[in-house]
Amino acid sequence: MKLTRRDLLAWSAGAAAGLIVTPIPWKILDDTSIWSQNWPWIPQPARVPVEIRQSHCTLCPKGCGLRVRMAAGWAVGVAGMKTHPTSHGALCPLGFGAHQLNWHPQRLREVRHRGNASSWNEAHAAFARASSEGPVVIIDGYPGRAASSVYESFAEKNHGEYRVFRGTELRSLNPYESWTGVPVTSLGYDLENTQTLISFGAPLLDGWGTPGYVTRLWSEKSGGVDDPQLRIIQIEPSLSRTAARARQWLRIHEGSESALASGLARVLMEQNLVPAHPPIPAITISDAAARTGWSEDAIQELARTLVSRPPALAIAANENPTVAALNVLLGSVGARGGIVRKEKISHAYVSASAAISTARAVLIDSSVPWDFAPQTDAEIFRFAAWNGGPTKADWLLPAPGFLEELTDVPTAPALPVETYAVAPALVKTTFELQSAAQFLVGIDSSLTPPEKTIHDRCADLFKNRSGTLHAPESIAIAKIESVQQLKEQLWKGAVWVGEASPPGGLKCELKEWPPEPIPATAAGWADSWQAPVLPPLASKLYIESNLRDAPERRNA
Amino acid sequence: MSARYGMVIDLDRCTGCGSCMIACASENNVPSLPQATARTGLTPLLVRKVSNGEDGERRRAAFIPIMCAHCEHDTPCVKVCPQQAVEVDKATGIVMQMPQRCLGCRYCMTACPYHARYFNWWDPAWPKGMEKSLNPGVAVRMRGVVEKCNLCHARLHAAEEKAAAAGKREIDPADYEPACAEACPTGAIRFGNLADPDDPVSKEARSPEAFRLLAELGTEPKLYYKSKEAWVRALAESNSARNSEVQHG
Repeated sequence: MKLTRRDLLAWSAGAAAGLIVTPIPWKILDDTSIWSQNWPWIPQPARVPVEIRQSHCTLCPKGCGLRVRMAAGWAVGVAGMKTHPTSHGALCPLGFGAHQLNWHPQRLREVRHRGNASSWNEAHAAFARASSEGPVVIIDGYPGRAASSVYESFAEKNHGEYRVFRGTELRSLNPYESWTGVPVTSLGYDLENTQTLISFGAPLLDGWGTPGYVTRLWSEKSGGVDDPQLRIIQIEPSLSRTAARARQWLRIHEGSESALASGLARVLMEQNLVPAHPPIPAITISDAAARTGWSEDAIQELARTLVSRPPALAIAANENPTVAALNVLLGSVGARGGIVRKEKISHAYVSASAAISTARAVLIDSSVPWDFAPQTDAEIFRFAAWNGGPTKADWLLPAPGFLEELTDVPTAPALPVETYAVAPALVKTTFELQSAAQFLVGIDSSLTPPEKTIHDRCADLFKNRSGTLHAPESIAIAKIESVQQLKEQLWKGAVWVGEASPPGGLKCELKEWPPEPIPATAAGWADSWQAPVLPPLASKLYIESNLRDAPERRNA
Repeated sequence: MSARYGMVIDLDRCTGCGSCMIACASENNVPSLPQATARTGLTPLLVRKVSNGEDGERRRAAFIPIMCAHCEHDTPCVKVCPQQAVEVDKATGIVMQMPQRCLGCRYCMTACPYHARYFNWWDPAWPKGMEKSLNPGVAVRMRGVVEKCNLCHARLHAAEEKAAAAGKREIDPADYEPACAEACPTGAIRFGNLADPDDPVSKEARSPEAFRLLAELGTEPKLYYKSKEAWVRALAESNSARNSEVQHG
């Protein structure tokens, strides 16, 4: 049979038509799609079992409870611990990407001396030499930890000085420290019992304090409720997130918060709305109205609102003595729903921002924000897990990152009760690093290592038989049978919560109405984030959506 | 019994913190690529800021998390997919996206009334070593496919496996909660079974304050919102995208 060109064309057309009704082209299409999704350079997660561990976030002093998913020794996911007594399952948005931080390209992996690679031995020798030649200042951003006691002991033994960097929540308590003599670390805001909360720019619903503590209160008592038990009045020049969700947003001229606080105080006194009569502020109501851009009636109305549903509490965005004086006038200092004193009184710390007169060296703990630069000519030893860019530090020393070291988690700033928890080292490390406390113990072996201090603190908690252990069910500490049992629970993520102090115990009398401070900015969670880098997933907030403006000083 | 999983988001409790966005991306191994922008990034859950359009003290703002609404009826993306890469799971009501079948034609993106689908423009990549932090339960998707919220299907799988290991046919509702609902610090995002009349979320979805975006299209979305603020409801009923402060692809 002769094969013609027509036959060939007919066969080809028939084959092509027939092929379509066979699975072959579709299978090829499907497989191509699958193959192209499995190139060897595309990372695939390890097929390993996942284990859940409970711990605490140590990236800032707020110590939120964590539920960490672990696989093959690495953290593969982070969520909030819903049973946590203060954070209530909430984390700051960046916390949800914290498990990626240890792999951040800016991770500090080697000792650096003035930009050049160095070694731990050289760093040890340099610091030992410096501390023998003159006083050493040690700056801590997270006081109250076992590591902090190492710093205090070293500074004391070497005629140095231990200083504490204060976040905005602690700075807002500064005036009460100077008026009552009680250190800021022993003061807190009793928001659980507050009914009217007037915020002078504090980002209460945007990461202020322990994020879950405030948002849970607001959600339960105020959010979407017609007659809220907690009324938040936000005084702010712009419509912030807190202003958007507050019961009332009152717009004010930039930097006139103190004038408003003084104007409110004047109304409260002139109209006898409060029993106490501290010194009268110099500002008149009409001056306050002119400064704030409000009418006098509006200021009077707000003053009446403040006293209509007590307890009322005023919170400043930063250190602001006039707002603090308003609280004194409202009777909120040492009262239920106001500023309260914790059960245990710690001693006062020197603020990190105070001028350094004489020092041979300054050691900065990794908990101090990267952009904090001490004003000194001394040699600076800077511990950090991540390299945040240009720095004045002479030495950069790689510190443990997220969940890479055993540390304890003392009370968060501004909480009204004491808490204690432990964050064990859950994650493996792949290079040599040291915490500042380990570094100092390596230089002076007579110092008590942080691990030993944590064990001693557990023993003290057991001995005192006071407070409750949340594990997650609440157990009175008196029912715990041994120190070992207490430690096991703490290592598994339990939290000890102390007894609430009875109201009172804070005496505060003003001799004169305080002068207006220089306006300072508020700090939400993005600003209180102490790591100098953000988790890569933060780009979802800052770049891939327009939900937020990226913090300028951070490196995403 | 088949379930109908859905959500009710209380907009009066949403502070726009963005925790849900990061928790979603972390759970689902969504990469963060330096070249991604607001138009090209992968945000299966996107929180939009909206306002009442007023100025000064009368200005008000709210935050609306937008994600796949898991349309139940005439699901637009299912209807247009030439590859049958999208289907509504009869057992759960979840609109499933199968990246292995997806050709990347993006018809579904055009059809989706909520703009809740995203195209994978680049190979997924993480800084060196960071692949160790990926969620083992979720496969990484390749470039050239469309992605969207699947209500953390890996968590549903895990809950089903747990139930099967215990000899049960039904999962324990406590074992299955998407990452966004778990992460929400104010409890604004609530997840549940809309087919169960006793489920608290189902009850909320039937409350007079609940509404759905673009409900008039008749696609029966299973994503409900709640708000007592009249302007938010009016905005949602008109067209949220028109008044949005965020323009997103």
